[in-house]
Amino acid sequence: MNVNIEKCGYCGACVGVCNYFAIELIENKIKIYDDKCINCKSCLIVCPLNALYL
Amino acid sequence: MIKLFNEEYDVIVVGAGPGGSISSYYASKNGAKTLLVEKSQEIGAPVRCAEAVPDLSEEFGINPHPSYIRNKIEGGILVAPNGKKITVKGGKTQGYIVDRKVFDKYLAIRSANVGTKIAVKSRVVGLEHDGNKYTVIINHLGNLYYVKAKIVIAADGVESSIGEMAGLKCKKKPTEICSCAEYEMTNVKYLDKNMMEFYFGDICPKGYTWIFPKGDTANIGLGIIDSKKKAIDYLNEFLENPLLEGRLDNAVPVEFKCGGAPVGGPIKKTVGDNIMVVGDAAGQISPISGGGIYFSISCGSIAGTVAGEAIKQGDYSEDFLINYEKQWKDKWYKLLKTELKYKKILQQFSEKELNALADAMDDNLEELEVSSLVYKAVKKAPSLLRYFKDLL
Repeated sequence: MNVNIEKCGYCGACVGVCNYFAIELIENKIKIYDDKCINCKSCLIVCPLNALYL
Repeated sequence: MIKLFNEEYDVIVVGAGPGGSISSYYASKNGAKTLLVEKSQEIGAPVRCAEAVPDLSEEFGINPHPSYIRNKIEGGILVAPNGKKITVKGGKTQGYIVDRKVFDKYLAIRSANVGTKIAVKSRVVGLEHDGNKYTVIINHLGNLYYVKAKIVIAADGVESSIGEMAGLKCKKKPTEICSCAEYEMTNVKYLDKNMMEFYFGDICPKGYTWIFPKGDTANIGLGIIDSKKKAIDYLNEFLENPLLEGRLDNAVPVEFKCGGAPVGGPIKKTVGDNIMVVGDAAGQISPISGGGIYFSISCGSIAGTVAGEAIKQGDYSEDFLINYEKQWKDKWYKLLKTELKYKKILQQFSEKELNALADAMDDNLEELEVSSLVYKAVKKAPSLLRYFKDLL
């Protein structure tokens, strides 16, 4: 999973649905840990701004 | 601030939203040595909310302070897809539109004033449970600090990471998250400057659209659940909707906000040994309205009080902390679960069905309790009974 920081509104909704601790919101930056992400797309569904992409 | 991390605490509260500030307030007030940890550099920002808050003075002694009150609200106008308007006034529909950036800081300061220590720009990156306490691992300015606490209160909002780290099932399913986007705009023409507006239908699948007058500005936003398009797309469409014709001609945005509201109902287990979960992280939020501040404050006040008692008794086990879960469930579990059942039905409604429901309702109502509203509507339009027969 990848994040387009131009689109991201840093709301943290994606963090709330990630069961793998693969996303963290640090101040206004989303950090995705590829080694933990299983590409389940949960985060992609809840993003209000379409900021996440595979 | 670093010296704060050299101490041990009775209670560490993670997250300085309303739930966290209130939890820490009651913990401190009940004699617990309390640290409130906020990961952002600014408490209250970024705002992820439509900023409506009920009156909190009688129940919690939080008087409406001019520093954060932006507008007084007398009720709401519900607008069905066919344009039928239902006005609801009184009771729980009354309240305020606040400036959350100021409101959240106000509540944090109120907690500090009874002894809570606060660390900002301090992100909890891990929890270690050892024996009868937690070591909370905090990243502050790139350095790690290991701070011990007898009780951790997880008030980390929709992100729901802290309770999950402690082994409680806090993370949400995507279908439980209402995905929201909002512009705060100035020069908006209101229907009524003291009434909130709510719009329903295909303009925002499974959610609703709102216009909340905030004095000089208005919060115009919407929430959707698991839809084809994104919240921002529906919002931009709404701003062009003929429903609003003439009302936004000179309107310009002064802020953009977005967020996820965990509207899937409360999580199963909100306590464990040495830990409690409050607020959005615990799913303590109205499944129908997405309003969470009142529930966070109510449940946070219980969590903080129970934490204080636990410290006095020297018992931080789940057996003692379960008092928090019992008390908040006594107050709110039934209501939240009932709302959840109605929400699941209403989510499936087509515009035609929403119109039928609205047409069966009186134009003016004095309450917004969903089960009695539906009951009255079904009495007037028995064809609606088939949807609600299991609930009524």
